[in-house]
Amino acid sequence: MITIDEVQKKIESALPGARVRVGTFSGHDHFEAIVEAPQFVGKSRIEQHRMVYDALDGLIGGAMHALALKTSPLDEAES
Amino acid sequence: MESRSLEEWNDQIKKDIADNRVFIYAKGEKNAAMCGFSHRVMQIFNAIGSEYAVRNIFSDPNIRPAICAFTNWPTTPQIFVDGEFVGGCDIVTEMYQSGELQTLLEKPAAKAD
Repeated sequence: MITIDEVQKKIESALPGARVRVGTFSGHDHFEAIVEAPQFVGKSRIEQHRMVYDALDGLIGGAMHALALKTSPLDEAES
Repeated sequence: MESRSLEEWNDQIKKDIADNRVFIYAKGEKNAAMCGFSHRVMQIFNAIGSEYAVRNIFSDPNIRPAICAFTNWPTTPQIFVDGEFVGGCDIVTEMYQSGELQTLLEKPAAKAD
């Protein structure tokens, strides 16, 4: 079992400077995350999602049954 | 229940996505999804009025590992358009909401070499 805090910390440490919000829905193993990261600038949606999946190394499909994910580039000039 | 090897499924995936403009690897059959995300993706293509084919990943235990290895993507459903991996439910939903998906499907089918 993995907690919201652990998921959030894993994403934040893989993507320094990112704004990360994590929650759950329909049970403790269905997660949702909204991630805005400077590292996403210039990346396709598939690449952005892969970067989050990589941060969660192997947890998806295991301890995390599902991850509903919304990603967007974070323009550092605006933050 | 089918029983094919990962290798055979890898070949079948290439055939599936070459033979169908829109192909979805889903949990459940076409219009009988067994998962909310697969259901939403099928509803989107129904709403657009696009033809699509579905392979139920539960019909053989080797489909899920084969498709996840093929795309290097850990979740299902997975959606292909013109032989290209487009993403999962979240990406297809965003593309539908922004109109990108409709634009992509209005174009004549890209011809695979």
